[in-house]
This record gives sequence, structure tokens and C-alpha cells, in this order.
Amino acid sequence: MTERGLIDPPTVNDERHPSDLAEILERVLDKGIVIAGDIKIDLLDIELLTIRLRLFISSVDTARKAGIDWWETDPALSSRAARDTLAQENADLRTRLHALESRIGAEELSTVGAAEEERRP
Amino acid sequence: MTRAEPPTLTYAFAVCRGDGLTDPAEPLAELPGLGTGAPVRTLAAGPLTAVVQDVPAAGYGEAALRRRLSDGAELERCARAHHAVITAASALAPAVPLPLATVYLDDGRVREALGDRQTSLLTALDRIAGRVEWGVKVYAPTGPPPEAAPAPSDGPGSGRAYLDRVRTRQRGREQRHTLALRAAERVDTVVRGLAVAARRLRPHGVEVTGKHRTHVLNAAYLLDLGRERELRAALASLRHDEADVRIELSGPWVPYSFVDGGITDAGATP
Repeated sequence: MTERGLIDPPTVNDERHPSDLAEILERVLDKGIVIAGDIKIDLLDIELLTIRLRLFISSVDTARKAGIDWWETDPALSSRAARDTLAQENADLRTRLHALESRIGAEELSTVGAAEEERRP
Repeated sequence: MTRAEPPTLTYAFAVCRGDGLTDPAEPLAELPGLGTGAPVRTLAAGPLTAVVQDVPAAGYGEAALRRRLSDGAELERCARAHHAVITAASALAPAVPLPLATVYLDDGRVREALGDRQTSLLTALDRIAGRVEWGVKVYAPTGPPPEAAPAPSDGPGSGRAYLDRVRTRQRGREQRHTLALRAAERVDTVVRGLAVAARRLRPHGVEVTGKHRTHVLNAAYLLDLGRERELRAALASLRHDEADVRIELSGPWVPYSFVDGGITDAGATP
């Protein structure tokens, strides 16, 4: 809990302050009304999630400053097992990313296919 | 290069009603925003006002922005800056948050884009006026269940005893998970009762929650201002009754989850 004070005021047991990085990212990345800007950041929902996960996994120090410190209390992520866990998580994420990418690819193909069918008289 | 100054783009944070956020909005001008040196300012667009900032094209063009947001530290910086401006704007007037990285070529394009969406933006502003969002997360512990002392009858080395133990543990886990899901539903029902709208968000995976707990409810609720005390009282009582799960509250938030039309699932059951 001592680390939390860097950004967050100390909070009650089951209360999360609105400045928690996880909560901010959850809302800022996924929410807000959709108005297309001129600059196209073609980050699909899935990609945003991937970035978010990568942030959590890779940027432990930054996140801890933001009050996210679950790995410190999680025995599976303590120094003893940290390396194995990260490798495993990396592998898992890679597998999931591949699956999602191929699904998106398939969906795009089917959209194109549907559009072509519509064009036909 | 004869250009006197580098080209700038217009980054848009939020949209308010024109009469709600009048120029000059001084508290906004004091914000660093994205830290480009330009002030955070308001931009009138018909009945609406956008909260914007000039950003250098070199740093916020398509490729640069993509690179920026792929970098964890930079993503965090941008998300926090974006969130800070939106929160400050909504303290002055109801504000519809725009997604991270909403960038236009110039002010004229912002006016055009807002003009195209004028009706839905005004509807969204009506929906969130005088209301705030609260986040409620419910977690179930995933650690080993409090284990009863193994029955000594079969002896410690028996294979059957081992299988029994495994089976009992598995059953216990499933049972606890079902109970946690039910507790989450009860929490949801109570908080929904206080809210004008509710929305289930994507539960976090173990990457975020940690392996020692499972996310069984991730929900956002839109509450009228002034119901905070009721909400806290309800949660205190829920925490007392649902001792097996952990209930976390976050907020108040700008109603990020309730500005988009047609997304509220106020009466829906999961």
C-alpha cells in the first residue's frame, strides 16, 4: 500500500480511486461516443485490448505507480515464479492474438463477399 | 520549407452544449492537456462546443499517433491527459467524452464532424446531464478452498483417497464459483435499483485481476447526482451480506459508458 501514495490518495479497502490506471484505460479506450476523426487510428477494439494487456504485463513499474499492485500479493507472480508466468502469459496472449487476427481476417472477407453479392442484380 | 510555423492538427477531447461551456473556459486553459504547449480551448460549433487543443502534425499524424499509442508509457500519458481534460470539462458542464485520439485536420473539420452528429450528441448530453457513472466490480477468490482435514480411513497413501480429494476440491471450486456468480447478480440487482441505466462491461482476465481472484461482475451504473450516499450504504450492506466475494466501487466518473446511444441494458438480464 505504500506505493499507492505516488498518485492516488490512500483509499479505503474496497474502493478504487478514479485515477487507477486500469479503470482509466478501461473507460478511455473503450468508451466515449464514436465520432470519426480525420486521422484514422485503425485500432480495433481487440487491438486496444492487446495494447492494454501488454501495458499491464510489460510496464510493471509504471502501473505500480498508478496503484496497480496485484502481482505483489500474488504468489504466482512473485519473483520465484515470475519468469515462467510471464513466458506462459506471453505464449497465451500470442495464441489468442493469432486466433483473433484470423477471425478478423475472415470477417473482413465475408463482409467483402456480402458487399459483392449486393452489387449483383 | 518556407512555412513560418509547423502545421498543427486539432485534437478533440469532449463536447458540451454551447450555452453550458462559454468561452473563455479558464479552468481548462490551465490544463496541460497533451502537453503540446498549446492551451486547451473551446471551439464553438452551432449549439455545441468542443474542447480541443492544437497538436503538432508531426507528433499526432496517423503514423506518429499509432507509434505513440503502441508504447505503454506513452499510452498511459495520453490516456491520463485525455481523461484529465474530459473530467475538468465535465466539472463545468455536462460533457460527452470523445474516444482517445480523435484528431482533425483543423477547426473547420471539427465543426463539420460535430454538425453531422449534432442530434445524437445533444441526445447524449441530455441523457448524462446531472448524472454520474459509478463502476462496480465483484471478484471471487480463486485460492484453494478451506480444506477439511482428510478422512484418515483410507490411509494417506491410498490412490482412492487422492482421487477423492481431487474430486472434492474440484466440486468445491465449482460450487464456490456458482455462489460467487449468484452473489454478483444480487449486487447487480441492488445497484441497478438505484441507477437510471446500467451496463455490463467486459470482465477482466487474469492478466489484470491476478490469478488469486476471478472477475465475476464488471458493471457501470448511471446514477443521478446526489445518490452517492444511498449507493455507499447499499454497498456497505452488500459487503456485509456477501462476505465471500470482494466488491469494489470506483467513481464518480464522467458517464463514459452511457454517452453512446442504444447501449444501456437497464432491464436486461445477462
